[in-house]
Amino acid sequence: MDWLQAFLPLNLERLSVWIGVLCTLAIYSLLYRENPIYRFFEHMYIGLAAGYSLGPLGVDILYRYWIEPIWIQGYWAWAFVVPYGMYLYFIFSERYGWISRIVIGTLIGASAGLFFQEFSSRYLPQLNSTLQKPLWVSDANPDLTYGMIINNILFVIILLSVLTYFTFSYEQRGPVKRVAIWGRWFLMIGLGAIFGNTVMARMALMIGRIYYLLNDWLLIRVGGG
Amino acid sequence: MLSVDRRWLYLILFVNIVIFLLAPLRMPASISPPVQKFYDEIEKLQPGDLVMISSNWSASTLAENQPQLEAVITHLMRKQVRFTIISIEAQSRDISYRLAERVTKEKGYQYGEQWAHFGFVPNLAVAIKGMVTDLPNTIKQDVRGTAVAELPVVQGVKSLSEYKMIIDVTPTGSVPVWISYSPKNVKILYCPTSVMAAEAYTYLDSGQIKGMITGAKGAQEYEQLLGITGLGAPFANTISFSHLLIIAFILLGNFAMLMNRLQARREA
Repeated sequence: MDWLQAFLPLNLERLSVWIGVLCTLAIYSLLYRENPIYRFFEHMYIGLAAGYSLGPLGVDILYRYWIEPIWIQGYWAWAFVVPYGMYLYFIFSERYGWISRIVIGTLIGASAGLFFQEFSSRYLPQLNSTLQKPLWVSDANPDLTYGMIINNILFVIILLSVLTYFTFSYEQRGPVKRVAIWGRWFLMIGLGAIFGNTVMARMALMIGRIYYLLNDWLLIRVGGG
Repeated sequence: MLSVDRRWLYLILFVNIVIFLLAPLRMPASISPPVQKFYDEIEKLQPGDLVMISSNWSASTLAENQPQLEAVITHLMRKQVRFTIISIEAQSRDISYRLAERVTKEKGYQYGEQWAHFGFVPNLAVAIKGMVTDLPNTIKQDVRGTAVAELPVVQGVKSLSEYKMIIDVTPTGSVPVWISYSPKNVKILYCPTSVMAAEAYTYLDSGQIKGMITGAKGAQEYEQLLGITGLGAPFANTISFSHLLIIAFILLGNFAMLMNRLQARREA
């Protein structure tokens, strides 16, 4: 009886779980066949997700960074920021479309500036790490094992073959073509590993939903614990 | 066999998942080097050190990111480390806040004193640059509406560079943004979903990230290192047996197709 009382939607918290279950089953009904219930819940989910995002946007962004500084702290200059951003919507006007370019220009300028930093922080250390990989044991690197040496040599071979595959400036013939073919094979192996991980991730999505049905709805402890 | 309705396969997969989620199965996992490195980096932290957790997942990737975040918070609390959480996805703000509140309450970790949630920021690159320059004025308030400058957990902290570590728990491609804009003295650890993990090995190899927990499988390994029973183990076991089932389906399907072709050839 205790289980039944906890299971039934007798309070708000349980009601929300039951609604969650209804949504989950409605979405999964697509696996049986395309149906209007699935369509309805699909549209409802998209609408809810978009609507939900408006809440945090309003509270955490508009209020915190715009309304509060203007009304409470008196930074009146901030009042111009949102109208300036909204100039972007002039893109829909044939006559005043040029105004939107001012905002677009600002955005492109900011993005380009950010990208300079991103390039140096994101890609240069990788380039540096690749060039510093020791390919043989010497006095400079006594801790290096043969396993690490093989790993580094493989890394460099794969890197060079894949780069050769992506060299399109001239026709690939003879040995260059053979290296490029190896590069393609290495790429396929890499993509296969990514695809394997994708299958694992998709399976985890389904497991997450079934966990919700068992743990939150049916109140069955998962993992036999 | 080739005429079997695919819906039967879905049903068998569903039953398989239910059985292995409920089964009291504890298969030991071998610890992969990225998970071991992750663990070792957190072990190096001293009590009172400050860690930023970037939690950007929502209900859709719960099976992978929830066990990761739970295990990471458990480890941080064990090391008596102070931590703050930030989300770049609106839905993640509430999910990570509720999860952290539950896990910290169990261990008596005090909100505001030992941990805090900074809420939702929409543009990570701009937010990081802001936090590097002036953290209290960039974040302004926590999820409870308290001014960041008044939170004891970050008392006197002016910049992100005063943190020891950033831990990104995410199904999105946010880790390159953390790598690009965060201070170079702050170590970055990464908890991606399995689908994002393959791309992150380059960052692991170059040392831009110091450790990685990959999906539910990584969470299982991490729980094993911590000696705790969490959701990682049942989820990873279920994934393994679901993969075996899918492989069996593929083999059966190919076998049936081969037999059909042989029969057709014989009849011809």
